[in-house]
Amino acid sequence: MPAYWLEAIVVALGLLLLLMEAFSNSKSKELIRVVGIGGLIFLLVPFYFAVAPPADNAELARFYVYDRPAIFFKLLALLTTILVLFMAYDFRKTLNRFTEGPDTEHGTGEYYALPVFACAGMMWMASARDLVSIFVALELVTITFYILVAFMNRQVGSLEAGVKFLILGALSTGFLVYGIAWIYGITHTTNLETISQLLAANSSNPDLHDGISANPIPLLFGLSLILLSLAFKIGAVPMHLWIPDVYQGAPTPTTAFLSVGSKAAGFIVTLRILDPFFSSDITRSQTTIVVLALAGLTILVGNLTAIPQTNFKRLLAYSSIAHAGFILLAIAAWHTGDDDTLSSYQAVAFYLGTYLLITIGAFFVLVVVHNSEGSDNISAFDGLGQRNSLLALCATILLAAMAGLPLTAGFYGKFFAFQLAIESAHTNQILWWGIALGFVGVAAGFYYYLKVVRAIYWRAAPKDDLIAIPRISRYAIISLTLATVILGFWPEPILWLIGA
Amino acid sequence: MEGLFFYAFSGFAVIGALALVAFKNPVSSAMSMVASFLGLAALFISLNAYFVGIIQILVYAGAIMVLFVFIIMLLDLKAEERKTKYNPLFLVGGVFIPLVFLIQLCGILPHVPNAEPEPLHLKESARYFYDQEKEASKEEQSEIHKSLSKGDLPDVNLIGLTMFGHKGDNETIKTPGYNFPLQIVGVLLLVATVGVVALSLRKKTTGEPEPGDPDSRPEP
Repeated sequence: MPAYWLEAIVVALGLLLLLMEAFSNSKSKELIRVVGIGGLIFLLVPFYFAVAPPADNAELARFYVYDRPAIFFKLLALLTTILVLFMAYDFRKTLNRFTEGPDTEHGTGEYYALPVFACAGMMWMASARDLVSIFVALELVTITFYILVAFMNRQVGSLEAGVKFLILGALSTGFLVYGIAWIYGITHTTNLETISQLLAANSSNPDLHDGISANPIPLLFGLSLILLSLAFKIGAVPMHLWIPDVYQGAPTPTTAFLSVGSKAAGFIVTLRILDPFFSSDITRSQTTIVVLALAGLTILVGNLTAIPQTNFKRLLAYSSIAHAGFILLAIAAWHTGDDDTLSSYQAVAFYLGTYLLITIGAFFVLVVVHNSEGSDNISAFDGLGQRNSLLALCATILLAAMAGLPLTAGFYGKFFAFQLAIESAHTNQILWWGIALGFVGVAAGFYYYLKVVRAIYWRAAPKDDLIAIPRISRYAIISLTLATVILGFWPEPILWLIGA
Repeated sequence: MEGLFFYAFSGFAVIGALALVAFKNPVSSAMSMVASFLGLAALFISLNAYFVGIIQILVYAGAIMVLFVFIIMLLDLKAEERKTKYNPLFLVGGVFIPLVFLIQLCGILPHVPNAEPEPLHLKESARYFYDQEKEASKEEQSEIHKSLSKGDLPDVNLIGLTMFGHKGDNETIKTPGYNFPLQIVGVLLLVATVGVVALSLRKKTTGEPEPGDPDSRPEP
């Protein structure tokens, strides 16, 4: 089956869910949730058998690529969406309360259908190889998220987050289109493959009439505009200001989706756009400096501002900025990969794969604690060790993995990023700065992640009743924690998936 | 025959414009505006301005009107349905603006010859532009080039060919169009529509938004 059928099936599933929502009973949206989750899980079967589309289809060859990174990031998008829908299942009480009322599910059906469309958008982003298809797929994802963030329309926090996200998102879209226009104006193409060939031709023959090698400034200006907009999507400095507020105000499943799915899709697009610019001698050094500056600032700002946070959701928001910084460091140390070292594509993919498990696990814990305590504050975790030892243990492991403690999957993610940076720093001295800032960030990370662990075990519990974990959350938290630990000993499964 | 079409379509446009003002319901007004735009587009096409005509339909009747209807639905504009009080300023404005327009018309009309316009020399102008193109361009034959060499002026046909891809007479490979991104845009618009409805749907229970948990509200 050609791979582009996958997205078509996902969109068809979304349409089916919308139809079911239109004709369904307004008391319960159970069927929509079940069909959505079941349909996406079933899609993993045809996904296994998918092959690249035939090469003689010129239009698909121009817009659609099905290589190893595309496969991995498509899988990432699917898994994220499935886990987020599971999380939304356990979040439904809070969602009902803030949409129509606690005793009806009227008007919440779209919340389970829209993530499916976002999933299709992310899968398209993973395959996009032309600035046009990148733009439309990116917008599909972003517009879906505007709705998902503001979905709890009887809660001021959610509405406020939606408005902030919409305004800043529109600004970043403007940057993206402007940047694409500049690049098109100089190269006369939107195809990344063609841009790559053009840059190669220019570096081997500097007198070509394009004049790119004589004056690459306009090209780099366009690239910087695009990078600014992508920084918004992946949550990197200087476009990170929306993250804490939106993460805090949005419904928790949406926050998890934003911090994993949207970020992962943003990174594959960033890699694809930067690839031609890193591969060419004309633009390599400037691009490295820009991306390295983004990475260093993101690591510093994300980690240092996370320290004083008292709200766990906000803490996770800053931590997601910090993680974006480490991933950007792996991109700045551009490497095409050899026998000993992963390529930048692979290091980023590995980091995001482990990040998916850890972050979604942490958000599941947050949903459970929130359902029981009605609060997202770190103080809600006080004495969790006495109130539910299993949940406390899983939370501790997940937080340690986020900090990058050895024997957890999070360690390998950071390890590969730093290994890549050090490998490239031998040829490009400036990368040592990024590595130094990275170590500062990791050290700060230990402090603020373990602060939550301290609350779990060392603080007295305000109440002594036990915290019950809903069934789906229990299975999800246990399996995600197990995966985190197992991959910490044995990272081969992900390495095999990314082809290393 | 052409005159008949001219009067039919301009009548259509004028009726649409009048209905736009006369309707009390904003959605009906918006729909009559679409009718007026369609009449206008037909007039453009009868003037051989195919491109402007199609763009009039695509951009004005399509995109901008959808935006209008979106906003009307989103803000739930019902205020217009109430009768507004008569204000003498309305009359002044209603006389003043047409008067300015009338003066302009009187300035122009005496200079327009009242005769059948000469037919357009499409073949000659295509030949002219073809020669110009030939001098200017160093690149390979573009689509515009080909249609000029056949004696056709490039028109909306080209937009369709660029949009959906095409295969020339002597070519074996189809030049790709933008079919694929167009499909994604379709999904995007669907999601946006669903979102507008989901977010602005009138709830059965009315009430102010709750502040919710004190700590889930972003800090100012």
